[in-house]
Amino acid sequence: MSSSVYIAGVGAISAIGNNVAEHLASFKNEEAGMGDITLLDTIHRQKLPVAEVKLSNDELVAITGLPKNISRTTLLSMVAANEALTDAAIPDFGSLRTGFVSANSVGGMDKSEDFFIDFLADNNKGKLRNIFDHECGSMTELVADKLGVSDFMTTISTACSSSANAIFYAARLIKNDILDVVIAGGTDALTKFTLNGFNTLMILDKEFCKPFDEHREGLNLGEGAGYVVLVSEKVMQTLAKAPYCKLSGYNNSNDAYHQTASSPDGTGSYLAMQGALKKSGLTPADIDYINLHGTGTPNNDSAEGTAIKRLFDPSYPPMSSTKSYTGHTLGASGGIEAVFSVLAIKHGIIYPNLRFETPMDELPFEPETKYLSGQDIKHVMSNSFGFGGNCTSLIFSRI
Amino acid sequence: MLTDKYITASCTINKGVVSKNGIKLFENDTNIAALLLSTYQHLQLNYPKFYKMDNLSKLGWLTAEVLLKDGFKKDDYQPEDISAILTNANSSLDDDIKYLDSIKDVASPSLFVYTLPNIVIGEICIRNHFKGEQAFYIQDEFDADFMAQQVNYQLDNNISQACICGWVDVLEQDYKAVLFLVEKKRNENSVEFSAKNMRKIFNKD
Repeated sequence: MSSSVYIAGVGAISAIGNNVAEHLASFKNEEAGMGDITLLDTIHRQKLPVAEVKLSNDELVAITGLPKNISRTTLLSMVAANEALTDAAIPDFGSLRTGFVSANSVGGMDKSEDFFIDFLADNNKGKLRNIFDHECGSMTELVADKLGVSDFMTTISTACSSSANAIFYAARLIKNDILDVVIAGGTDALTKFTLNGFNTLMILDKEFCKPFDEHREGLNLGEGAGYVVLVSEKVMQTLAKAPYCKLSGYNNSNDAYHQTASSPDGTGSYLAMQGALKKSGLTPADIDYINLHGTGTPNNDSAEGTAIKRLFDPSYPPMSSTKSYTGHTLGASGGIEAVFSVLAIKHGIIYPNLRFETPMDELPFEPETKYLSGQDIKHVMSNSFGFGGNCTSLIFSRI
Repeated sequence: MLTDKYITASCTINKGVVSKNGIKLFENDTNIAALLLSTYQHLQLNYPKFYKMDNLSKLGWLTAEVLLKDGFKKDDYQPEDISAILTNANSSLDDDIKYLDSIKDVASPSLFVYTLPNIVIGEICIRNHFKGEQAFYIQDEFDADFMAQQVNYQLDNNISQACICGWVDVLEQDYKAVLFLVEKKRNENSVEFSAKNMRKIFNKD
């Protein structure tokens, strides 16, 4: 039960890169991924910026070798999960007890939306074979099969904390000696469903988002996938290269306040961060970097900031929201940002919070705005807070 | 492990009448909006969020208020030990239609956040700080046998120690809510928990 869980591999795809190396380059060059909508077919083109993965479905099909009728959510998942597993290079993978815990919130909605255009016009039209993977669990199954994972798979869907919860759950499967290796994280593609939904909630910024800025006006939606490979101590000892770090703490707590808003005092986020620290046996002073949830909405950043103030005051570690690069990738964000947190430890880097200008009135701290390398980073906290008050914090620690 | 279970309270809001344990408390049969508001006022409740809710949440929330007032000893339970299992036939369609209508002008965020049926469970649980298992099923009509099976599973396996269960359904001016409080201990009003007794109370009007 008390044994450690190690991170042996990472993989990510988002608007700022199709693999981990491209992400690191974009961070260094301070190149954000937002722009005009080019791939998604929507009335909001030229009106709302989004952070699209810069590959069409056809290109993703060519890269992954998956069939053409697969949801973009599945295609993105396959790219990042495969990169993570390849990176981990686990000897004798097939002989171990392996699992795939993959999160998403949108499922195959992209294909279903296309289907309904034809189907509603004429109920004899529309190809059912294009919507067979509408359901959230379907993408997990397709990718698990491709990866050669057969012992255990499950799908977690808790809005924007989904993939942080997937990693949390994967760690528990290893700690309880149920599995040896788990690929965990999440994926989400842009769809009309999510863009229109967030637009209805009036929390989309018409400009590029400004997380933790006094004049922030909302989030930009993004898409992508991010996975880490978690291994047991026993498997870690068989690896050819050293693992990146440990997952030392995790906690999930709920605000129980509102369907889509955090409580003003950030009760859920406070409890999640505090619980993760307790689990890892660390104090706030031990944290060297916080990867914020930092969506850029007035409500999230105010609640998260208030919770950080309660927990960390008076000394604050460097912190930033990488959503200023990737947009908010919803069910994928916890996985993508877990990858960034792991890379922060491995390469000693702190990511800038782009476009930050004015500190928030209510907060005595501000996010880091410069790209910093050569940092001594031992412990990173990664926050992922979802609708329904579902708040998760993860802590990654150098070995 | 089979345990003894009792319906320790029930509340029905139907056809303009609010009744608890079979006794009429209040009546207003003009229309659903007037009934919900006047019931809230009659009970002298103070919960500003009530005004923001859609009719499904208002109906379920008020029924739970009446169900739990005077008698339910919440402090006898851990928050995790109280579950909620609700069913209806029309999902959140009442609010979905209003939301769809709002899209013609400016899509309404306040209507949008109620376009899921299980939000009513959230409203009841947030009010009472219940943190146990929750489920919402959509069925053609109230299925007492199905509900008994669900509740028995929760209580017999000690997943919960008490359960709020029943039916909360609204579509425009048609509505009906019947909630049962199921516990493992009896009180002066309690009847044995069974599909038969739920059916009897449900059909009493």
